[in-house]
Amino acid sequence: MRRREVVQFLGAALALPFIPRGAQAAIKLGEELHLRLGDVPFRTLNRDQQALVTNIAEMIIPETDTPGATSVKVPEFIDLILTERARDDERDAFLAGLRDIDMRASAMGSPRFITLPAAKKVELLTALDAAREDKAGAGLAFGRLKALTVYGFFTSSRVEQEILKMQMFFNGYQGNVPFTPAV
Amino acid sequence: MPPMTYDAIVVGSGISGGWAAKELTEKGLRTIVLEAGRPIDPAVDYVEHVPPSEKRYRGMGNRKQVERYQPIQRHTGACDEWSSKFFVNDLDNPYSFPDDKPFYWIRGRQVGGRSIMWGRCVYRWSDLDFTANAREGYGVDWPLRYNDLAPWWSYVEKFVGIQGRRENLPQVPDGEFQAPWPLNAAEQKSRDILLTKFGGERVITNARLAVLTEDHLGRQKCHLCGHCARGCITLSYFSSINSTLPAARKTGRLTLRPFSVVHSVIYDPAKKRATGVRVIDANTKEMFDVNAKVIFLNASAMESTRILLNSGTSEFPDGLGSSSGELGHNLMDHIMDGGAVGTLPFATDRREIGNRPDAIYVPRFRNVKTKHPDFLRGYGFEGRAYRPGWERGTEMPGFGASFKKSLSGDLGPWEMEFGGFGEMLPRHENHVELDPHLVDAWGIPALRVSCVYSDNEKKMQEDMVVSATEMLEALGATNIRPFKQDNPPGLVIHETGTARMGRDPKTSVLNSHNQVWDAPNVFVTDGACMPSTANQNPSITYMALTARAVDYAHRLLSRREL
Repeated sequence: MRRREVVQFLGAALALPFIPRGAQAAIKLGEELHLRLGDVPFRTLNRDQQALVTNIAEMIIPETDTPGATSVKVPEFIDLILTERARDDERDAFLAGLRDIDMRASAMGSPRFITLPAAKKVELLTALDAAREDKAGAGLAFGRLKALTVYGFFTSSRVEQEILKMQMFFNGYQGNVPFTPAV
Repeated sequence: MPPMTYDAIVVGSGISGGWAAKELTEKGLRTIVLEAGRPIDPAVDYVEHVPPSEKRYRGMGNRKQVERYQPIQRHTGACDEWSSKFFVNDLDNPYSFPDDKPFYWIRGRQVGGRSIMWGRCVYRWSDLDFTANAREGYGVDWPLRYNDLAPWWSYVEKFVGIQGRRENLPQVPDGEFQAPWPLNAAEQKSRDILLTKFGGERVITNARLAVLTEDHLGRQKCHLCGHCARGCITLSYFSSINSTLPAARKTGRLTLRPFSVVHSVIYDPAKKRATGVRVIDANTKEMFDVNAKVIFLNASAMESTRILLNSGTSEFPDGLGSSSGELGHNLMDHIMDGGAVGTLPFATDRREIGNRPDAIYVPRFRNVKTKHPDFLRGYGFEGRAYRPGWERGTEMPGFGASFKKSLSGDLGPWEMEFGGFGEMLPRHENHVELDPHLVDAWGIPALRVSCVYSDNEKKMQEDMVVSATEMLEALGATNIRPFKQDNPPGLVIHETGTARMGRDPKTSVLNSHNQVWDAPNVFVTDGACMPSTANQNPSITYMALTARAVDYAHRLLSRREL
């Protein structure tokens, strides 16, 4: 399977499992994710971390009628930034924070975040979102993961074209155009 | 290599060097422009339409590379993943400063210099600025006044092409303007409110920009892509590559030589004139001379002074032009990083279409009609009202489908930002000199810079925060975020002074026509010449001074007085 297809398949797979299901099913899904992610040449994130980052990124920006974080390769972008751009202390703090997220999940009765029931995942991410200004730990990791997910998503080629409809030539400037939010 | 001989030499091809080249060649002089850096090919080097998705780090920048090779340049925002190539390699171009006096010297060495990535803001001065030194006892009096320079501002503005709104404000006189872009809905409402609440004292107007709103002299009007510092393939903003160098080339009298690092000016004590310049080929490191009747130094303020400092003779051991003792002194920049941002409560049903290159300006209002108790001179605000769009998602709470939909379909509320740019007083102790222990990649002595802001600038910066907050409160803004950063001088990239003009050769380096008192066929018309900085962006004044100086030099040459 080509890398692009792997990632697209992963996006589709991740869009579904937030429906509550039993712990065994969740664990099975986690194992499947490990296998599929094994094809992707991540350089910093190991397979557990890839699965965690991918799961959370897709929860932040899920696939809807438009692409989600996974299908535009946000996890790969995060890995690139961690590998080539982050300082050692920043990368270490981020990875330590990922471990803390799994520890928080463990305290909620699941071996890892990705095996938590969907409702529990939402509960934990809501708590981490409130703690995203923290200087260390799970809050810091979530804050950076969220910022990189939003940034990586909206600077991806598909989103530039399909959602932002990025334009480089305008015939003139208009500063007072009626606007109604599409939300 | 045998000496080359021309009528005129211009050192530097940036914003003032381009003007010197244009004016000299159009007056019939065979002119060589010596540029230290590489040539620029707009078809390859201009990257304003490359979206973030096509950059490896999506615009976040190659951090490790800039930290290694551009540890100084990286401090300016324009040195980003697209445009870092337009800024110097700090390892090849070192300079030093005392540990307790950091100075960020932001440089561009290529054909076009920093005119490729400049901010494009252009404001005239008034006699409030030209008389300030004399009135307040700082530095020396300017040897000219508004009326001396007004025709030259008009002359260059007509060629440059400037969008601006006529306001009839005495502290920033109107110039030759193309039609301005409209203010956006939030800015227009803010302008109306502030005019009422501050009695006409604080005026939100269009930033006056060297960007075309109408086709002009073969250049196309701006297409509003919004990324000027990356180049402009339609030549819509003014740079020497887009405008003055092509005009000079059209005369058939221009020779442009990139990779030509000027080492020094060659001075003949018998004739009391310079005979040319000594040059090092940047690639081969071969040294050669270029001779000419007249020399224009336009290498940027501190580089031109560095050349003069490195041109010492038995008559002028401290450098050509040093007889006053002021060469290298009175270095200035502006002060910025004081202001505030707030969320506006109105115009939520309005948006913009098109990315204006810049937005609004609030001209100086301190020490215009009444004296401020805490500081001399003044500052203006640059700013804009903008809706942050998806970028607010990196900080706002939430996640999931509704979060995604909000970032994709809404733009967020209007944010208004006011950021001050204030005048720095000329002080003798702020200076540059040759560092006896440091040379650049071509073996030329590097500069040692010693420059700090004084209490006057720091108090001004504090007032920027106060007055920006006042304006946002007057607009009914919420979530007001005042900001003040303690950045070192240099970062505004408006470094000026070090070879000031004046009325007296005992206290200045240049006369009123930018001639070096000690070598009358050498002219310095970049930022080095300035006896003060005012608070306005300086480049249009360098252009006007250059055109005026070339006109003067040409008259002297015609009378065989050089």
